[in-house]
Amino acid sequence: MAPLDPTPGIASNLFNTGAERLALLGKYHKQLMQGYLDGYVDETAFSEGALKKLIAARILWRPDEQQPLALRPLVSELIASMVADENRRQINADVAEKLEQIRNRVQAYRDAQYKGDYAVAELQLQRLTEHVHDLSGQFEEAIDSLWHRLNSDFGFVSSLDDKIRENERAQKQLRRLLDGLDLLDFTELIELSEGNNHLRKLLVSQLQSQLSSHHSSLLEVQKRLVELLAKFRQQQSRSLLISNMVAFLRQHPKYQPADYPNRSELPDLFNQASAIRPQAAIALDKASERQILAELVRALPRQVAVTLSDTPSASFSELLQDEEIAARQLALKTDVENFYLRVIDRGGSLSALEYLTEQQLPWDCEIWLYQILAEYQALPVAEKQMFQLQREESPASAVNSLYLIRDISIGLQAA
Amino acid sequence: MLQHGPLLERLLAGDFICRITDEDAYRHLSNEQTQQDINHYLRPLNRRLVSNDDQSVYFLGYYELSKEAREQLSQQFAQTVQSLLPLLEWLQLVQETLGRDSALTAGDTIKLQEFVLRTEDNQSLRQRLNTLASDRFFNSQSEQLDSQVKLIFRRLKEHGYLLQPHADRQYYIVTGKIDYLIDVIRFIRDEEHLPVEDTPQQEALL
Repeated sequence: MAPLDPTPGIASNLFNTGAERLALLGKYHKQLMQGYLDGYVDETAFSEGALKKLIAARILWRPDEQQPLALRPLVSELIASMVADENRRQINADVAEKLEQIRNRVQAYRDAQYKGDYAVAELQLQRLTEHVHDLSGQFEEAIDSLWHRLNSDFGFVSSLDDKIRENERAQKQLRRLLDGLDLLDFTELIELSEGNNHLRKLLVSQLQSQLSSHHSSLLEVQKRLVELLAKFRQQQSRSLLISNMVAFLRQHPKYQPADYPNRSELPDLFNQASAIRPQAAIALDKASERQILAELVRALPRQVAVTLSDTPSASFSELLQDEEIAARQLALKTDVENFYLRVIDRGGSLSALEYLTEQQLPWDCEIWLYQILAEYQALPVAEKQMFQLQREESPASAVNSLYLIRDISIGLQAA
Repeated sequence: MLQHGPLLERLLAGDFICRITDEDAYRHLSNEQTQQDINHYLRPLNRRLVSNDDQSVYFLGYYELSKEAREQLSQQFAQTVQSLLPLLEWLQLVQETLGRDSALTAGDTIKLQEFVLRTEDNQSLRQRLNTLASDRFFNSQSEQLDSQVKLIFRRLKEHGYLLQPHADRQYYIVTGKIDYLIDVIRFIRDEEHLPVEDTPQQEALL
């Protein structure tokens, strides 16, 4: 704390030095910020004169002979608070010291007033006001920092373990702040400000309302911190449970838990009933709803009827519904029907292959024979008896007794 | 009961109801009077409401445990046990692939594309996904990463672990059924005294 001296000469000297040194911060802002991030400053980035000035201004210091130059802790703290860098921001929970200062200032103020030295009294009151604001600002800063950390879910550290540690640290800080608040005894402050309106306003009404709002803020932060810690712990235990269970199941691939579903006391977790799919249908018996139903039915998208040409039941290409193929099928079927008609006309037996060559039909012999057989099989039993089917067969080879059909003759059965 | 019609239908169909799948329904189910009403209604169907320990998810169980019910439950249980490892491995894989510092919980969002992109460039993740996809539970026949991932997510959606809010958008939300899964594991661990820890070992502080 700078000595109180109302002499104008020294005050202006103080002003000049302070302004000059603050300007240093601005002049070297990039190097200093880099120094803040790195933890030390790069000495080659400064001229020798600049380094001397920065050290004299107590902005930089050398913590140890062997160590590089670094920012003074107070400067680092200033930056941390300006950019809300929760990794570095510090919380000052020291209330006792501030209280002591306030007490001393009140005494000095009263002494000056007693002596009738009003200029000094005025100055003391000014300093006292600053202290009171400091005290309140200290809590405000701390609360801001705590909220900031809370709202970012401690996002400034990456792992869950770090988050838990950071949360615990924040809770300790908070406890110290609350303890600090407890140190403030308002009956003492009332006594201190007795008989003086200025002091009463400053120490009692103003400070009291500020601190009580800080108190409730801190309690809210505490509640949230505890909740968040519980959440972190839950997440942590869940991750651990998963990874350990996976490890266990991998080590014991044959592992089979007890038969819980058949225990007399079934654990609720395993009581998972099979699904019932509710089905509903239109109530046709309700005459009142007929109108609605009719409209619904009318609104149904109409399906375009797909006309499938009739294909013989034993058809081998039934699955293909290509129109061209269906047309060929139909042609084949017609030709086979014509063949049967010819048989009926002639009365005698007729060879299928001969008919095929005679009529110069385009069908493959095998398909032709197959279709004739299929048509024969498809006839009703009574009509089947009307025809006599003769297969002209021969063994596939001398060693294979598989008979191959060479030709088919069909004739009318003598009635 | 009429206003709970859709909810009852979902419950009867075997759905798990949680805050994520249906917030309104979940809120109704948290009401004790509604629970009683629903249980009363379900009584003739031999069903009743069941929830996990912390009541974050509701589903239907049997009211009376007949022989048939027991049989069905045994079957169900066998399936659950079989699905434990693939599901847990999937949870682990997602956590590692997406670089999350904690396991998935209800309400977390997973973007399919992000998952695919991260897996693509990483041989070991790719390998693990491949193994997982061919597990009986997911049963993928494909060699393509994209279709493997899609299949895995579709299966998880069918099983109610994931919710896909828009059918044509490839992002999923984890449902409360994950909590159920964790509860099942914890239950088995506790019952069988498995050497599976879930509290961090006290590290020496100094």
